Amino acid sequence: MTDRFSVFLGFATIGLCACLVVSAPAFAEPYLAVAKGMKCGLCHTSPTGGGKRTPYGNIFAQQELPAKYLSRAGAAPNYWTGEIFKYLAVGGDLRGGWNQTSVPGQPTSSNADLEEFLAYVEVRLIPRYLSLYLDWKLRPDDPVPREEYLRLTLWSGRVYVRGGQFFLPYGLRIQDDSAFMRQIPGINYNTPDTGWEIGLEHGDWSAQLAITRGTAGGPEIDSGKQYSMRLSYVRPTWRAGGSFSFNDSSIGDRQMQNIFAGLKTGRISWLVEFDYIIDDGTSTGRRSSWTSFIEANFAAWRGHNFKLSYEYFDPDVDVSENQQNRISAVWEYFPIQFLQTRVGYRRYDGIPQNPAQNRDQLFIELHVPF
Amino acid sequence: MLDSAGKQVVAGDNDMTQVTRPFRCRLLSVQLISLTIVACGGSGEGLDISGRPISEGGNLPLEPTLASIQANVFNPFCITCHTGAAAPQGLRLDSGISFASLVGVPSREASSLLRVAPGMPEQSYLIHKLEGSAQVGEQMPLGGPPIPQATIDFVRQWIIDGALPEPGPDPDTPPVIVALTPDPDGIVSTLPLQILASFDQDIDASTINVMTFELIRSGGDDLFGNGNEETVIPASVGLSAINSQLAVMDLTGVIPVEDRYRIILRGDGPNVVLNMNGRALDGEYLGAFPSGDGTDGGDFVVEFDLQGIQPTLQSIQDNVFTPVCAVCHSGPPGPILPAGQDLSSASASFTSLVGIPSIEQPNIMRVAINDADNSYLIQKLEGSAAVGDRMPQGGPFLDQTTVDAIRAWIDSGANP
Repeated sequence: MTDRFSVFLGFATIGLCACLVVSAPAFAEPYLAVAKGMKCGLCHTSPTGGGKRTPYGNIFAQQELPAKYLSRAGAAPNYWTGEIFKYLAVGGDLRGGWNQTSVPGQPTSSNADLEEFLAYVEVRLIPRYLSLYLDWKLRPDDPVPREEYLRLTLWSGRVYVRGGQFFLPYGLRIQDDSAFMRQIPGINYNTPDTGWEIGLEHGDWSAQLAITRGTAGGPEIDSGKQYSMRLSYVRPTWRAGGSFSFNDSSIGDRQMQNIFAGLKTGRISWLVEFDYIIDDGTSTGRRSSWTSFIEANFAAWRGHNFKLSYEYFDPDVDVSENQQNRISAVWEYFPIQFLQTRVGYRRYDGIPQNPAQNRDQLFIELHVPF
Repeated sequence: MLDSAGKQVVAGDNDMTQVTRPFRCRLLSVQLISLTIVACGGSGEGLDISGRPISEGGNLPLEPTLASIQANVFNPFCITCHTGAAAPQGLRLDSGISFASLVGVPSREASSLLRVAPGMPEQSYLIHKLEGSAQVGEQMPLGGPPIPQATIDFVRQWIIDGALPEPGPDPDTPPVIVALTPDPDGIVSTLPLQILASFDQDIDASTINVMTFELIRSGGDDLFGNGNEETVIPASVGLSAINSQLAVMDLTGVIPVEDRYRIILRGDGPNVVLNMNGRALDGEYLGAFPSGDGTDGGDFVVEFDLQGIQPTLQSIQDNVFTPVCAVCHSGPPGPILPAGQDLSSASASFTSLVGIPSIEQPNIMRVAINDADNSYLIQKLEGSAAVGDRMPQGGPFLDQTTVDAIRAWIDSGANP
């Protein structure tokens, strides 16, 4: 692919974003938010999405997503809300899967795994005002805290402050951490950070500002901090936004910015994001890279979603012919409540010298969220 | 992997040669019609495996050297994520930084292991993560295909060779220590077979000896300087035969004793570690590697703790027989169980166990020297004995680590 085409593609992505105007608070699957015209915090306890669901989010997931609601004959639906009592709510997600990867010149490999169990706990120390939130990834001998924070909510939820370890507010929070737009900025479900965040919810607007260590949850290595902010505007059929992050570090600053958007056209929900990243302190000095992401989600029938996505990554804008692409086709099926299957295919296309950049992957995932 | 022109050479069922690229692009195009985007990856012309210009010098053949591993493993597969201040787990693998992030640095996920323990690939967390054998977290590269074992084997060999840095600084600087195994101030459950000290430059082999590289234990009080210390006599001390930047103390045959140990490499005094230009070790350890305060001289002094049961009778006595067994098995010696099998002291235990037939199973020795599997003591502790209850009677039973220490004592001769 020529640089000219790369630039065209980038501007096409920017243009689409610009047409849609500004961001959505992140959902674990932001296309659902776009399809319904909702903010993230409506379905998720975290106002920036992901993790434990609210009672509304739980009922939505049982009522709206599955092909069929399974219940005893004649019995009225009895929805799980996660509410144990006034001071305690819980949730979880059991995930397993199988994948097969083909790398040119290497034997095909496959792997099956009960990947993880995510456990969510919300302790409402002062209901509606002060809560403790825990999100742990549980594996045998391997409990990993993902989010652990205290959250103070004020003015009927219009303002919140949280302190502890949490996922940083940046871009669309899709579930796939291997997507370029999640992997390259390095803000994803594997890299929560520790610090403070303030969030504002006003009408159609959402805004967050986080000041954290900038070490992906690790200990402080210097006095510099990471400043991450995001602004989004949500309408019933579209949304748009932008993010900015600056990591002030003695070992090399990193500045990232993106714009992202969502659009609903009939039964198709579109997502786009464009990220531009500037790294100082690399072995070759300052380096700029960018990624773009576009995804179409087609809700063909109740309980079925077909997802096509295209991603582009230019690791260094000053180097030619080093670009990478990734294409994914995924069928998501929610047969009954509390069960989601995902069957997908991904094709990577990069430089021929690196076979791993030209791999194909088939995968099946099973989710039991509650 | 690359031919002389820098092009990919592949074989097998999944061939994806240059010849197939046009077809592949057409296939991609079809797939992307619904997205109205048609694009292919870069041609890679003039680039190395990392996607960097060949002129930057990264087009190196695979060899067991850090420079080659940097070019063929870390750069193409790892630094997509492991770069910058927010690198996952604080592990930066950028060129020029990877050595300091890896060698001698404890893993954050598995703090009992070093990311790279020079000389010991099996004890190096990097290998566990690349090969998918780590107890914690996912196999690396995350979400990507595993790195071929043939490539990992070069990483293994680099570690076996001492995990040396890229070509070191001007040897006209004093030598410093850049990594040590075991970890300074660490706690180990078994005495390492070797103590390894890595330098940043070649060392004069004649200056690595028992007078410049010492191991001392505190004498049981965790204190040094009060006169009861004991110098550990190693099997050998010297510079590695294959790595002139690695000093090795071989502890084969040393009886492990639970205690605090002090490692000293001399930079001051009549006997000091010297580089090839005769400059003395800059050894002061200030809590992080490399050692030194920037000037020649200064002893390198660090300590570690050996804790937990050891494969010696005294350790087994202190950790198992006395607190657990001697409650019932406590003299007078004789044919009446349980008291007759006296385990109340190390000497009594030795007399009651080693080479003594079991009363319950007279054809089996309680402890058969060098044969743990056929020692009745082990069968009773592991619950495989044909007669009677598993010991300790009523439980809780000993964990396998403890039993393994007893096994190791038996298999090494069941010495008193």
